[in-house]
Amino acid sequence: MATNLTSKKILIIEDNASMRETIIHILGSLGARFLITAETGANAMTAMKIDKFDIVLCDYNLLGEKTGQQVLDDARHLKLLPVSAIFIMVTGENRMELVLSAIDNKPDDYLIKPISKDQLSSRIERCVARKNYLASIENEIDSGNFYQALYHCKQLLQSDNNMRLHLLKVQADLSIKIGDFKAAEKIYEDILYERELPWARLGLGIVAFYLGDYDQAIQTFKDLIVQYPAMMEAYDWLVTAHESQGNDDHALSLLNLAVALSPMSLSRQKKLALLANKTDNLAIAEKAYSAAIKLGKNSVRKSPADYAGLAKVYLKYNAPDEALRIVNQLNFQFQNDPEAKLSSALLETEIHTTKGNKFLAQKAYEKAFILNQQFSNKLSRELRLNMAKAFYINGNKNACDEILNDLIKTNIDDKSFIKDIVKLCDTIIGENHAIMLIKEVRKEFSEINNYGVNLFNKGNIKGALEVFENVISQRPDNKAAILNMLRIMIHELKISGPDPEKIIKAQFYINKAIEIDMPHNQISRLQTELNTLQ
Amino acid sequence: MLPIDFSALLASSIHDIKNSLGALRALLAQLENIYPDPKPTELKHLNFEANRMNNNLMQLLVLYKIDLSQFSPTIDEHRAGDILEDVVAQQSTLLSLSNIELITQCDNELLCYCDNTLIGNALCTLVNNAQRYCQTKVMLSAVQEDDYIVFSIEDDGDGYPENLISSDYKQLPIIDLASGNTGLGLFFTDTIAKLHAQGEKRGFITTDNDSQFGGARFRLYLP
Repeated sequence: MATNLTSKKILIIEDNASMRETIIHILGSLGARFLITAETGANAMTAMKIDKFDIVLCDYNLLGEKTGQQVLDDARHLKLLPVSAIFIMVTGENRMELVLSAIDNKPDDYLIKPISKDQLSSRIERCVARKNYLASIENEIDSGNFYQALYHCKQLLQSDNNMRLHLLKVQADLSIKIGDFKAAEKIYEDILYERELPWARLGLGIVAFYLGDYDQAIQTFKDLIVQYPAMMEAYDWLVTAHESQGNDDHALSLLNLAVALSPMSLSRQKKLALLANKTDNLAIAEKAYSAAIKLGKNSVRKSPADYAGLAKVYLKYNAPDEALRIVNQLNFQFQNDPEAKLSSALLETEIHTTKGNKFLAQKAYEKAFILNQQFSNKLSRELRLNMAKAFYINGNKNACDEILNDLIKTNIDDKSFIKDIVKLCDTIIGENHAIMLIKEVRKEFSEINNYGVNLFNKGNIKGALEVFENVISQRPDNKAAILNMLRIMIHELKISGPDPEKIIKAQFYINKAIEIDMPHNQISRLQTELNTLQ
Repeated sequence: MLPIDFSALLASSIHDIKNSLGALRALLAQLENIYPDPKPTELKHLNFEANRMNNNLMQLLVLYKIDLSQFSPTIDEHRAGDILEDVVAQQSTLLSLSNIELITQCDNELLCYCDNTLIGNALCTLVNNAQRYCQTKVMLSAVQEDDYIVFSIEDDGDGYPENLISSDYKQLPIIDLASGNTGLGLFFTDTIAKLHAQGEKRGFITTDNDSQFGGARFRLYLP
């Protein structure tokens, strides 16, 4: 076996001492010199923060607080693993039972205990070869350069037959990412013509969803679930499709099913909790929030919002004492987190009001007021919206409008959040209040945009760029500003000749444009122009 | 007395036994570390038998789930060579203590659409059997034959007994207590082969005594 691990940094996460010895022994005989071991998930996280590992071997059933899957989820969440790193999950179980639980992040490979030297070495060798082969694509994806990744993908497909199907899958995924749905559709159809493969069928459903053919998409996802009852992605997409059709009840019952199949998925529990809360299915919301809190407890993804959500459910149940108990837990779990502090102060205000304790309610409100002044720029927008509501209810209309204005300005391009703002204003302040604020903000921005375009038309490129840079710094997701910015930058590059720094900057804005779902035909034209300038 | 639902009872017993077996294997691994090299061959044998039991139990569970329509294979494109390599790696323990030669033959570029875990597991059990009945060698190979990928296991033993020669494996398992061979491995492989379909074509298996080494030959056809 050709595997030589001399130059590789390897982390072994295993709680069983003798198993650890066995693995160290095997790796040693394959030449490994840089070996770090961790007995618990927490120690593993620390190790990965200190060193960048090439290979991680992780036991699935770790004793203590974190499972192997949580180690992987957290490591990916915190970006502790380089793109080139290999993560192998070692399990005592059969792989099939684990695949279900591994939803948020999949390891590069699974190994079933007991491990032999030959097995370990051939798996590592295979993973390394696969990573190396795909490196050019993965690196571009990691930097958000989807057009370049697509280019490398096509190159590999042309050069040989190695991993053809996987490359086609990546090519279709990337085509969806840049919004070229027709290209993705063609790839999936070609594959399905050769052979019925579930992921290609799913892809076709996703394409139908993006092209607005919701009936077709929903039917495809439904068929897949009947045929492959454990295909979690099909559930997730069906939920999304129902949600986008405004059919929250359908979405909720499906998501509930999916959670029953994969109770260990934190992100799915969180999503279920939010949806159940929104549709006033309090029993489901209570269960899902509790599960999310339990799953998140030892994870970097634990969040004050889950505690706040559960406390709110208890308030809706008219059980203020239960709510208060959760708020105390929230305070205990997040001692120095401004978001948690403000969140609990707001909840306390509501709880004490419910209990008729005006004095305590007033005290809690004052606490929230001060925290808001101290940390306003560090708080999540959802919490700030709650704060605006509290201001309004307590008669501080100016402070309320100040927050609303700011939230509208920074989120004007996020339709669903703007909808939340409008909904809140409609229920507590009155119709039209939010609409007026939004109109003003839109007018102000359109005037600035016009001003920038005018400067450009008069030949003042530098001035125009400054204007748009300023707009984007305030509204990072504004399509018109990004599009204008890109057009001017490319125009400037054409006149003044290639400049690597400016090209990188333009690429950054193109990636940004993809991220905010700008239409494919607009971006691809700009990308092509930029490519000819390099 | 209430009627006993034997299949459910067996399935839950298998789960229990599998857990115990897991604990047993962990203990074995600990025991192995106590002994200095060279380790006693009994240990390897113990490991091997525990592994075999685990494979059998896993096959029973899969068959149980198929019977309840709770199981669907995860079919994707895999390199046939990788599947063979996995089988060899898993068999390496046994190989190192017997003097049997396991030869593999496969075009490196040969691709195969299958559930690689299932197929690997099935081939492992059958190679395992072949090793018990052969004289000196077993050959594991994969080739393309028309619209099928064919995995073959050939040995130089006495060949299959009459009752295990190809016909219809839906009749299996034929329980032959005298030889200790129940044909479970063949039955399992045949069942999962049929789950692999492409258009009108389905997977199947054949058994005969036409091995190029004069013994038994098993073939698995996947569309």
